[in-house]
Parts: sequence; structure tokens; C-alpha cells
Amino acid sequence: MRVKLLFSESLRSLGANLSTTIAATMTVLIGMFLLGLFIALGSWVVSWSDHVKRELLVKVFYVQDAKEAQINDVRAQLEADPRVKSVTFVSAEEALDRMRRKFPELTANLPSNPLPPSHEIVPVRGEDVDAIAASLRPTPPGVDKVKYGKQTADRILRVARVIEIVFLVAVIVLLVASTLLIANTIRLSIFSRRREIEVMKLVGATNWFVRGPFMLEGLLCGLVGSLVAVLLLLLGKELALPAILGRIESSSDVEALAFSTNALILLIVGLGVGALGSGLTLRRFLQV
Amino acid sequence: MTDSNLQTDVTQAAAVEPQNGIPADVSAEGTIDASIAGTMIVFEEVIKVYEPNVIALNDVSFVIDKGEFVFVVGASGSGKSTMIRLLLKELEPSSGRIFVGGRDLARLKQSKVPLLRRNVGCVFQDFKLLPNRTAGENVAYALKVQGESSANIRRKVPEALSLVGLSDKTGSLPDELSGGEQQRVSIARAVVNHPPLLICDEPTGNLDPDTSVGIMQLLYRINRAGTTILMVTHDREMVDKMRRRVIALEEGRLARDERRGGYESE
Repeated sequence: MRVKLLFSESLRSLGANLSTTIAATMTVLIGMFLLGLFIALGSWVVSWSDHVKRELLVKVFYVQDAKEAQINDVRAQLEADPRVKSVTFVSAEEALDRMRRKFPELTANLPSNPLPPSHEIVPVRGEDVDAIAASLRPTPPGVDKVKYGKQTADRILRVARVIEIVFLVAVIVLLVASTLLIANTIRLSIFSRRREIEVMKLVGATNWFVRGPFMLEGLLCGLVGSLVAVLLLLLGKELALPAILGRIESSSDVEALAFSTNALILLIVGLGVGALGSGLTLRRFLQV
Repeated sequence: MTDSNLQTDVTQAAAVEPQNGIPADVSAEGTIDASIAGTMIVFEEVIKVYEPNVIALNDVSFVIDKGEFVFVVGASGSGKSTMIRLLLKELEPSSGRIFVGGRDLARLKQSKVPLLRRNVGCVFQDFKLLPNRTAGENVAYALKVQGESSANIRRKVPEALSLVGLSDKTGSLPDELSGGEQQRVSIARAVVNHPPLLICDEPTGNLDPDTSVGIMQLLYRINRAGTTILMVTHDREMVDKMRRRVIALEEGRLARDERRGGYESE
């Protein structure tokens, strides 16, 4: 009975205040659409920068006549390092093979193998290449050079960090902006109905009786707004994205946040902002 | 609806949500206070000071018994509105005590205030009807708020509307009604719960004299049926004609309290 009353009162006032209802729903829609777009875009970019970081390696080149014991010592030291994810041995023959595949014309006439054996070290975090390389200084016996492409690594890391910060700030700004925007729209719609609230209070409505329909209305606006936003994002993903991404070569491990997760976030934020926004705004008007 | 239907067990209805089964006439200390039994409104040395130091009511004391019809008169700013807002617990007095239906308002929890308001009907100069609801829905709203069943709502709303003589306007929106008709709808809404106390804040303030007489006759009938009426008014002629009890406020003080008074002291 109470639930029926709650719903009938909410639907009735949604219909009676159609323009504010539409305004509130559109605000939620726009806010959630932008937020969803940013989450998708941002998470893709962060994932891309992770991918690039993963390509960062430390290479340890040994002298041509390095003893096996010396090589094993270095390997043991590296494997004991918690920052190291994996250590791969590349023998001189293997290095030559790779070279042949990459640059066949350069290696065609080689009388002997000029390449040294080496270790390729993949760090757990791209940022650690510097530290891992430093741990091999001064170079242990048998080691010729330690390389990790210092300049390239530094640049990649710097760009990645900037991208992460920009993304984080943008999401926070967007979240705050859309919350304020939605709260403001709700406040306007409630303000235009403060007389109604006054009458409700005068005939002895409890605060929850007044608040219930308003919160349900906010909830419904939030639901519809974020659902449409999800729908638009889905359309964009299915129609616009292939046209753009068709030309960009992407590796399989670069991915945006799963669409379903993104959609779930938008729905929860939309519903929460709608219901809480109207509930909290009402508090000021309930002190009659 | 006949007048007798309006007559409710005042004592019972006045007990606004008795807590712990204590009858309303039992005061806070648990002893029966003879001075409160049988009264509807008691003001005891009430002072209301608005910040910073505007004195709206200054040491006002009076007792209104159940079933009385009382006019409150006074110039603008004499404290009449403050008195009404205190009675509805929209405001708290700075000092002094207020009892409504034997219940000390200071001891009434904020969460019980809606229950107080359901037992005090209110009629205002500007009607305060919901503009997008019909007359019938406006009256029904006061019942819905209390969680009344729809069967009861269907029965009580036509009763209240026929009491005020608007049975044929149930489906009209406030915009489609005249001022006097709108005020009748608001009276129907105020009495549909059979409240023991009806507070009227200048109910005829926006109406022409003929319409005002009709409204006064309606209020008179409601009063005869047992409802206590406290009416704030500027209508000199009406007060002089009715010869009822008059409480006059002047700059927040109780200037006059006469059994059968006129608008001005004689």
C-alpha cells in the first residue's frame, strides 16, 4: 500500500513537472556520457602506457670469452632481485639468428659471430630499469656492458606518468562537475516545488513521506539518464570505434576497461547522484 | 456530512500520540494537573525573542478551553503569526510553556511534530492548495499523508466536501474555483481528519464581505460541532458581529482578553 502510494506520487509529479524532469534526465545523460567516454578513453591510454612500459628491458652483454660461472653468478644475482620479473639468456648464436632475421643483408657476409652472449631482464615495473641497471655497477667480472636505453626509457616513463595524472584529474573533475550540475538541476526542480513541500508539511506529512517521492524521482531520472548514456556509448563503440581503430594497429594487451564494467560504474553513479542529490537537497526545505 | 459526524471525542483526539500510555492530561511529572484538564491551548508566560533582540511575544499567558471560538486580533507585527507558528511547533518559545490538547510542546519530540499537525487543522489567507490537484485530491492528500486506506479516503473526502457545500466541485482544479470556493476546499482539507483544534490565519483576508460571511458561518457550524477554533483576523466587522472571546495582542503583549469582546476595547 505504502509502496503503491510512493510510486503513484512519484510518477504523478514526474508527469506534472515534465520540463524539470527532462532537464534533470538530460543533465544526468550528458554527465554520465562524458564520464563514460573519459573512463573508456582514459583506461585505454593508461593500458597503452603500461604496454609501452612493458617493452622496457635491461640488457647485460658479456665479453666474448665470459666464463659460464661468471654468467651464472650474474643470473643468480638478478634472479634474487625482487624488482626483476624474468631473466632470459640469449646466447651468441641466438643473437646472430635474430640479427639475420632482422637485417639479412648486413649479416650475409660475416666471417664469424661478432655478437656477445647476453641476458635480457624484464622488470616487474618499467620504472625500475634504472635501478636494476645500477645494481650491476661496477660491472661484475665477465660483463661487458649494461644497457637499458636510458633516454628512451626516461621519455616513455615521463609521458606515461603525465598521461596517468591527466586522466585521473580529468575523471575527478568530470565527476565533481557532473555531480554539481545534477545537484543544481535537482535543486532548481525542488525549489520550484517548495510550496508543495510546505503544504505537505502543514497537513502533517512526515519528512520521509515528503522525501520518498522526490528521491524516487531522482532515482528514476538517474536511471533513465545513465541508461541512455550507456546506450549512446554502446552505439559509439559499435559504430564509430571500428572506423577509427581500423587504421591503428593495436596490440592485444592494450585494452580499455571492459564496457560492462564501465556501464555498471555509470549506472551506479547515475542512480546514486540522482537519489542522494534530491534527498540531500530536500533537507534544507524540510525545516518548516 | 452532518455536524454530529464532525463531533469527535475531543479528549481522545487531543491526546496527540500519548507516549507510554500516559494520558495526555497527565503532566510531565506524572501527576494530573487540574489546570490543564479540559483545556485546548495553554500559554504560560510565553516569551519569544527572535535573534538578535526582536521581542515577538512578551510574557503572554492565556487558556483556551475545548470547544471555544476565539478571535486573535492585533496590528501587523503584534505577534499573531508567531503565536500560530509556536502552536504548530514551527518555532520554539524562548521561555514559558505551551500546551496543546494537554500536551507540553517542549516535550514533544521533533519526529512527533507531524502527528501534532495532523491533529491541528490549518486554514490560511492564501489557501495553500496544491495547484495541480483537484479539490477532491487536495482534501484526500491530508488523509494520504496519514496512511489512511483508500476505502476511508473515498468515504471521508465527499463527506468533507459536502460539509463545505462543494460536492459538485470535487473534480475542479483550484484555478477553476473562486476565492471563496478555494477557501472552502482548504477548510474541508483542514477538518477532514476531524481535528479537535482548527487554527485559521486570516481566512477571510482575501475574500469579499459576502463570501466572508459564508466562510464565517461555515466555521461557526464547525465550532458548534465541538471543534475549538482559534482565528486570527483583521476583520473588525466580523469580530464585532460575532461577539466571541477576543484576545488582543499589542507589540507582543497580551493587551486584552474578553469573553464577549469586540475588535476594539470599549
